[in-house]
Amino acid sequence: MSLDPIGLVVLGNALAGVAEEMGAVLVRAAFSANIKERRDSSCALFAPDGRMVAQAAHVPVHLGSMPETVAAVLARDPVPGDVFLVNDPYTGGSHLPDITLVAPIAVDGAVLAIAAVRAHHADVGGMRAGSMPPGATELYQEGLVIPPVRLVRGGAVDANLLDLLLANVRQPEERRGDLDAQLAAIHLATTRLAELADRHGAATVLAAYDAMIAYAERRTREAIRALPDGVHAAADVLEGDGVTDDDIPIQATVEIAGDRIIVDFAGTAPAVRGNVNCPLAVTRAGCLFALRVLLPGDIPLNAGVSAPLEVRAEPGSLVDARPPSAVAAGNVETSSRIADVVMAALAEVADLPAQGQGTMNNLVLGGAGWSTYETIGGGQGASSRGPGPSGVHVAMSNTRNTPVEALELEAPVRVRRYELAYGTGGTGRHAGGDGIVREVEALAPAALSLVADRRRHGPRGAQGGGPGMVGEHRVNGAPVGAKAGVDLVPGDVVHVRTPGGGGWGAPTGATGDPSGETGGR
Amino acid sequence: MRVGIDVGGTFTDLAAVGPDGLVIAKVPTTPRDQSEAVLAAVLASGIDPAAVQALAHGMTVATNALLERRGARTALVTTEGFRDVIEIGRQARADLYDLSRHNPPPLVPRELRVTVRERMGPDGVVEALDPADLARAVSDLRALAVESVAVCLLFGYLHPAHEEAVARALRDALPGVEVVASHEVLPEMREYERASATVATAYLRPRLRGYLERLVERAEGARLPTPTVMQSSGGVIDAQTASLLAATTVLSGPAGGVVGAAYVAVASGFADALTFDMGGTSTDVAAIVEGSVATTTEAVVAGVPLRLAMTEVHTVSAGGGSIAWVDDGGRLRVGPTSAGAVPGPAAYGAGGVEPTVTDANVVLGRLPDGLVLGGSIALSGELAARAVARLGERLGLGVEETALGIVRVADSAMAQALRVVSVERGRDPRAGALVAFGGAGPLHACALAEDLGIGAVLVPAASGVLSALGLALADVRRDHVRGVRATLDPEGTADVAAALDRLAAEALADLPGAVLTLAVDCRYAGQGHELTVPVADAAEATAGFHRQHALRHGWDRPDQPVEVIAVRVAATVPTERPALAPVPVVDGPVAGPAAVPIAGATVWVGAGWAGACDETGTLVLRREGAA
Repeated sequence: MSLDPIGLVVLGNALAGVAEEMGAVLVRAAFSANIKERRDSSCALFAPDGRMVAQAAHVPVHLGSMPETVAAVLARDPVPGDVFLVNDPYTGGSHLPDITLVAPIAVDGAVLAIAAVRAHHADVGGMRAGSMPPGATELYQEGLVIPPVRLVRGGAVDANLLDLLLANVRQPEERRGDLDAQLAAIHLATTRLAELADRHGAATVLAAYDAMIAYAERRTREAIRALPDGVHAAADVLEGDGVTDDDIPIQATVEIAGDRIIVDFAGTAPAVRGNVNCPLAVTRAGCLFALRVLLPGDIPLNAGVSAPLEVRAEPGSLVDARPPSAVAAGNVETSSRIADVVMAALAEVADLPAQGQGTMNNLVLGGAGWSTYETIGGGQGASSRGPGPSGVHVAMSNTRNTPVEALELEAPVRVRRYELAYGTGGTGRHAGGDGIVREVEALAPAALSLVADRRRHGPRGAQGGGPGMVGEHRVNGAPVGAKAGVDLVPGDVVHVRTPGGGGWGAPTGATGDPSGETGGR
Repeated sequence: MRVGIDVGGTFTDLAAVGPDGLVIAKVPTTPRDQSEAVLAAVLASGIDPAAVQALAHGMTVATNALLERRGARTALVTTEGFRDVIEIGRQARADLYDLSRHNPPPLVPRELRVTVRERMGPDGVVEALDPADLARAVSDLRALAVESVAVCLLFGYLHPAHEEAVARALRDALPGVEVVASHEVLPEMREYERASATVATAYLRPRLRGYLERLVERAEGARLPTPTVMQSSGGVIDAQTASLLAATTVLSGPAGGVVGAAYVAVASGFADALTFDMGGTSTDVAAIVEGSVATTTEAVVAGVPLRLAMTEVHTVSAGGGSIAWVDDGGRLRVGPTSAGAVPGPAAYGAGGVEPTVTDANVVLGRLPDGLVLGGSIALSGELAARAVARLGERLGLGVEETALGIVRVADSAMAQALRVVSVERGRDPRAGALVAFGGAGPLHACALAEDLGIGAVLVPAASGVLSALGLALADVRRDHVRGVRATLDPEGTADVAAALDRLAAEALADLPGAVLTLAVDCRYAGQGHELTVPVADAAEATAGFHRQHALRHGWDRPDQPVEVIAVRVAATVPTERPALAPVPVVDGPVAGPAAVPIAGATVWVGAGWAGACDETGTLVLRREGAA
C-alpha cells in the first residue's frame, strides 16, 4: 500500500516523536553524568530491513554510523524478545565506549521496527581509566570488545553476560544503571510502536517508512542535482596519532554526478599505529554530516538522505581500518576532519561556512574509583551569513558540558578557569567564533588523557577570511602534545585552550596573524 | 467578589466571581501600559469596586521584556575565571546542521560582566574574597552605569558568604541600583542555570517594579484592592513580592488559563486532564495532575533557562490562522507561517488567498458558512473552498480531501504537543479529560482526544475568559528552594530534616497560615541528575526516592546510598472557590457529527461523540464505547 501526502506527515511526526521520547527516557533514567548532563547518546528507529526511518537529533557521529550497527545485528537473526548489545567497531560499533543496544520490536508476532539506543559509557575497561588511552596501538588496549551478543533473550537479561561485562569495567554500578536506562528506552519504543500499530494499522506504519525514506531521498537528490556536475578535491591533516606526532594526510575527492555524490578517499594515509583510525561506518558518518549541512533544514534525516551518497575507501586505510587497529580517537577526532575535508571540497560549489574548531578536545581524568570525561567546545567557522558562534561543538559532536559545581562534587578536581578565549576566531568580514579556555587542577593522583587536534594547523578561513587560532595544551605551564597521557599529582594544573573558527570574507582593515600557526597570545 | 484580569495579545479579559455568578468583560489591550486596559476592563464590566475583595492580575510585561530583550541594563558579577559561563551555557549549538545559527544572546553582554577574586568549593572557602579586588569591581561597576546587578559566584548556593559580602558592598556603594544575589533567587547546584535565573531576575525587576507600581497606583485611585500577580507556577503573589522575584512571572499569561481549566475539570469530576488552548497563531497545552497544575523546573523561555517552578506549558506554532502549503518534496505542511489577524484566513474575505486551518474547517462544515465572527466578519465558504481547492490541485486531491488533510496535519502537530506533556512525562492521559478552549480549541478537541485515547472532552462555559477566571480563583503561592549536601544515612537525614525545618519556618514567616508542601531532590550517590520527591518529612525521603525512581525510570537500587541535593517548600494559601451559578454552554444534548455554535467559538462534535452540559454548565462530550 502507498501513503498519501497527509499520512506521510502524520506518521512522520509520530515516529519522530517516538525517537524523541526514547531519548528523553534514556537521559532521564541514566545513571552517569556523561549521559544525563552531557547527553552523549542517541536513539533511532529502523525499518525491519535495517533502513533508518526516524531519529532524535542528538550526536551526528552516532546517528551516521548506527545503520551499520543495525545491519550487524540483523546478520545474527534477532528474534522478538532479544536485545543485542554491541560495541565492536569492526562489527557495527564506532569506538568501544559507545555501547549500542539494538532490538527487533514486534507487534502481534511480526517485526514492525528495529530500535537502536547508543550511549557513550564513561569507562569500558582497557589500559587507562576512561577508555580513551592516547597511546593505544591495538583495539584490545582500549577496553572490552563486545561483538553483537544477546544481552536479553526471550525478555530476560542474560545475567552471566552482564556479570562478565561488569567485571571488566571500572565503575560497574554506573554501567549497570546506564544499561538499564538504555533498556528502558527500548522498552518505550515497544510500547509506542504497539500503540501506533493499533491506531493506524501495522501495514500503514510499514508503508510510512517507505514513503518517508522516498520523500527524503527525492528531496536530497533534488538538492544535489541543483549543484553543477564536477569533481572537487580537498586535503587536510590530522596532527599525530598519539604514538608519533607526524601529520597524517586525509584526502577526499568529491564527485557530483547528476543526483549522486561520490566521495573517494584515495590518497588518504594507511591506517596508523595509534588510535585515530576509523571503521568505515564512522567515515560514512562524517560524509553524511557534510551532506546534511548542504541540504534544506526541513528534510528529515533517514535512509533516504544517505541513499545518493557513495563512499569509497581503501581497505586498511585510515578511513577504513581493519582489526586490530586502535580507533578510540577516530570516532571523535578523525570523523571531524573527514567532515572538514568533504565540506572543503564541496565549498567549491556551495555556500558553506569556514572551518570550525575541528576537534572535540577530549579530556579524560581518572583515579581510584572515579573517572570523568569532557569534550570542550570551541569556535565555529564564520559564514556568508555572519560571524561564527563561540564556545560550541561544531561538527560530529553536540554534547553538553558538565557543570563545574556538579563536577567538583563528584571528582577530586577543581576547575580554575572556564572562559571564552577572546580573539581566537579567524579575522574576516565575518570573524570566526572564539575557542574556550578550561583549566582543571587535580586534587588527587589522576591519569590524564588528552585527545585533540588543530594544535598546529588552525581551522581554515573561507573566501579570504583568516584561519582560527590553533588550540594548546599545557600541564603546569609546560606545553603538551595534541594527544597525550600524563600522570598527575595533586596540585597539577591542566590548561586546554580550544581552537577558534575560521573567518569568512576578506577582512576590512583588521589585523591578525594570517598564518594561524602561532601558539598562545 | 473575586476578580481576575488577564492581559492577552489582543484583548484584556475580566472575570468576576461572586454571589451573583460570573461577570465578564473584554476590552482592547493597551500595549504601551498594560495597566490602562486593566482599569478599562473594570469600568466596562460595571462591577462596583467596593464589592471587590481580591483582584488578581495576569500580564505579559516580563515575557515581552525577555522576548524583546528590553529589560534593564544589567551587569553580572561572577568568580574570576568564569566570566563567560552565562554565554557558553551548556555548550550546545543552536542547530545540529545549520552551522551559522547562533544561540539567543545572553541577557548580559560580555562588557557588562565583572569578575572578583574569590573561590568557594564544595566544602567552603578555597580562596578568600580579596577586599582590594572587590573595591576594584565595585568601582568598575559604578563606571558601567547599570540599573541592575546580578551576583553569582561558584558554590554560592551552598556557601553564600562571598555573595553576601559582594551584594552588601554593592548595595552600600550603588544606591538606586538593584542588586540580586544567586543564593536569594535559586540556591541550587549548577552555576549556569543559577546564574541564568539570577540574571533574569535582575534584568526584569526594574521593569516589573515600574509597571506594578503604576498598576497599584491606578487600582488605589479606583478604590480597588491592591492587585496580586499570577506567577508562572499557577499561584498568585502580592505585587511587591512579584516585582522582587520578577523572573517567576514570565509565564503569568498562560498560567491563568491552565488554572482556569483545572478548576473546570475538577468541578466536572476530572482530577486529571490535559488543557488545549488553540488560538489564531499558536496553541498552548498543559497537564493537570490530581487537580493541580503540573509544574516543572526545567523551562527555557526566550532562550533563557529558568529553573523556577513553572506551569508546564508547551507551545506549538499552529493555530486557526496557520497557512497550509506543499513543500518541495510534495508533502502537505501546515504553518508555522500564519495569516495573522490581517488579512486572516481566506474565508474572512479580507484579501487572504492562502488556505488556513480555519478555511479547512469551513470547507468541512465544522465552521458554518456565513458565521459572523467578532460582530463584523462573516465567513465565506466560497472563498475558503477556492483557497483550499488551489492547494488541492498541487496535491492531486479534491477540495474535501485537501481540507481533511490540512486538519489532520495540524492535529498531528498538536497531538505531539499533548504527548510531550503527558506520555513523555510518564502520565497516562486516557482516564482523564481534554479541556478545550481558545477560539479554535473546541473545533479540534474530539479528533485529538481520539488520537490520544482520551474518552472525554470538556468545553467550559467561560472558555472565552478562562485565563481571567483562573486568576480569580488561583491560590496564593510561593516556592522556596535551598541547596544542601547530605547523604541519607541517620546523620544526613537529620541534616535534611533541619534544612526542611528552616525552610518551612522561612516560608511560614513569609506567608503566615500557608499550607506547606515539602519535597527533596534526591539521587543515587554518583548519579548525574536528581529527582524531586514529595515527602511529609525527611524520614520518608529514602523509600520515596527508590519508589519514584522505579516508577519514573523503570529501575531502582535499594542497596545504593542516596544523596540529597536540595530541599523544597511550596507554600500555598488556598483560595475559597465559590460555587458558580451554572450558565450552560449549550441547551439540550448534542450528538456528532455536528457543528455546535457557542459563545465566542464553535464546537465540532465528532462522529461517535455525544454529550450535554453538566451541573456546572460545562459541555461534557464522551466518545461512544469509552468509559
